[in-house]
Amino acid sequence: MEVFTAQLINAIALGSIYALLVIGFNLLLVVGGIFPFAYSHIVVLSMYMCWIVLRITGDNLILGILAGILSGTALSLITEPIFRPLAKRGAVLSSFIVAMAISMIITDIMSKRIHGGVVISFPLTLQGKEALITFGIATITAGHIATIAGSIIAGIGFFYLLYRTRQGRAFRAMGQSPFAARLLGIPIVKTSIFAYMIAGFLGGISSILLAMSLGSASAVLGDNLALKVMAVALFAGLGNIGGGLVAAMVLGLAEGMALAYLPGEWYQAISFGMIMVIIMIKPKGLFGAMA
Amino acid sequence: MVRNNILKIENLHVSYGPVRALRGISLEVYEGEIVVLIGANGAGKTSLVESILGITPAESGRIIFMGEDITQKKTEHIVASGICLIPEGRGILPLMSVMENLQLGAHHYKGDISEDLNIIYKSFPVLKERTKQMAGTLSGGEQQILSIARGLMSRPKLMMMDEPSLGLAPVLVKELFEIIVNLNKAGYTILLSEQNARKALQCGHRGYVFETGNIVLSGKSGDLEKDIRVQHAYIGSAL
Ligand SMILES: Nc1ncnc2c1ncn2[C@@H]1O[C@H](COP(=O)(O)OP(=O)(O)OP(=O)(O)O)[C@@H](O)[C@H]1O
Ligand SMILES: [Mg+2]
Repeated sequence: MEVFTAQLINAIALGSIYALLVIGFNLLLVVGGIFPFAYSHIVVLSMYMCWIVLRITGDNLILGILAGILSGTALSLITEPIFRPLAKRGAVLSSFIVAMAISMIITDIMSKRIHGGVVISFPLTLQGKEALITFGIATITAGHIATIAGSIIAGIGFFYLLYRTRQGRAFRAMGQSPFAARLLGIPIVKTSIFAYMIAGFLGGISSILLAMSLGSASAVLGDNLALKVMAVALFAGLGNIGGGLVAAMVLGLAEGMALAYLPGEWYQAISFGMIMVIIMIKPKGLFGAMA
Repeated sequence: MVRNNILKIENLHVSYGPVRALRGISLEVYEGEIVVLIGANGAGKTSLVESILGITPAESGRIIFMGEDITQKKTEHIVASGICLIPEGRGILPLMSVMENLQLGAHHYKGDISEDLNIIYKSFPVLKERTKQMAGTLSGGEQQILSIARGLMSRPKLMMMDEPSLGLAPVLVKELFEIIVNLNKAGYTILLSEQNARKALQCGHRGYVFETGNIVLSGKSGDLEKDIRVQHAYIGSAL
């Protein structure tokens, strides 16, 4: 029972970070009109930026966190002009290929140019490992609470923006019908840039939460996360933002439980196997594509 | 009474790659008019209204709206300056509520729009009843009304409607043309593209007949209706 509780807490923390990543991914997919494979790589590169600033400033947490959030936002914005002509033509498949190229460049930078390609570790003060609540061997740490609370606040903020503001209405209109959005006088380019900014900001927050819960990062983390985010988005139905949240939690839980009760590295096979089955029986994903 | 010129198009060319959709169109719309565009499938009616709104770029020629050259302007500026399009196929946002669709009509306007909404709900009670309903679940006729109402939310000086009667049952078509005439009486200037030439000419003041990207005939609605060529080519035995 204690192992279960301990894993459950980890799983919820991880699932809530996946959820944030999937929100950003779907926002770029739906509003930006591209297949943002490199989104997770940008998040991991932001973890590296946070780490560099922590090193330079002697573990100044505030500056480190700011560095992660700002670089997530900035890096996402930088990719917007690259994708703009593709989005204009509706060339989603080409955007996938361009995004893969970007992801390879980012992975190369992380594996060759930063810290000699060695795994980077975040200071314990950022990870917040001190136990706040303990039951037997199961503990809830400050890091867990910060991760879960951070994701929930960011998620609520995003949904408020999406469903309660003029800007969010424009986002959804562009997702449902770019043509109708255009003829209604919604400024397509401006709205799209704003979507990249929001996705990048959420990505920046995710980078900090990942640094807290994983404690380290390496160059392969980008590919690893990108596959998961893509799989979760497909699992929920591409572009289905609410569904993505649920699916991300399911993946987090499945991984956490597989990790606790199955030997070795089976957790990846279990979670991806589950996703494969869903996509085979429901090609539009569990909740249907939003379109 | 001298009427103000609202829209003036001079020698407009529009192409999609090798397809020459408009080959030198010139026309004018005056304040308070209903001007009808008629023509068979592929004649270029949609291309014209979409290029006026800046969705399809003009290759050459000029589009002048209320004295301002809008040929190279962005759609968002053109909408804000007072042109709206009720597009072919209605263009409603199916997964958003009726209210949100209406709010999007006034997207460029940052102030309070509750008074505009009240006026719309008063004129179209069916929309008030369904304000929270997803627009995609409305009937075809209701969706057409929503599309027109959404256009009105933009406070247009020129309303362009692209084949609004398409796919509607005959009684609804009759109702639709009544709405159009009433809007015109309320002061709206309307540019109406229609394949339903007889009905459109009956409610319009003037008309232009399109054929493969050219205007082949133009004049007062009544005269056009009588014109034997129009009858033959576009109205058929219906007249
Ligand atoms: N996106 C496009 N790409 C290529 N050709 C196009 C495109 N849109 C329209 N065309 C072509 O331009 C010409 C004019 O088309 P348009 O849609 O303006 O005609 P229309 O008068 O509105 O016809 P309908 O009554 O069928 O709606 C046609 O030959 C059409 O095939
Ligand atoms: Mg047409």
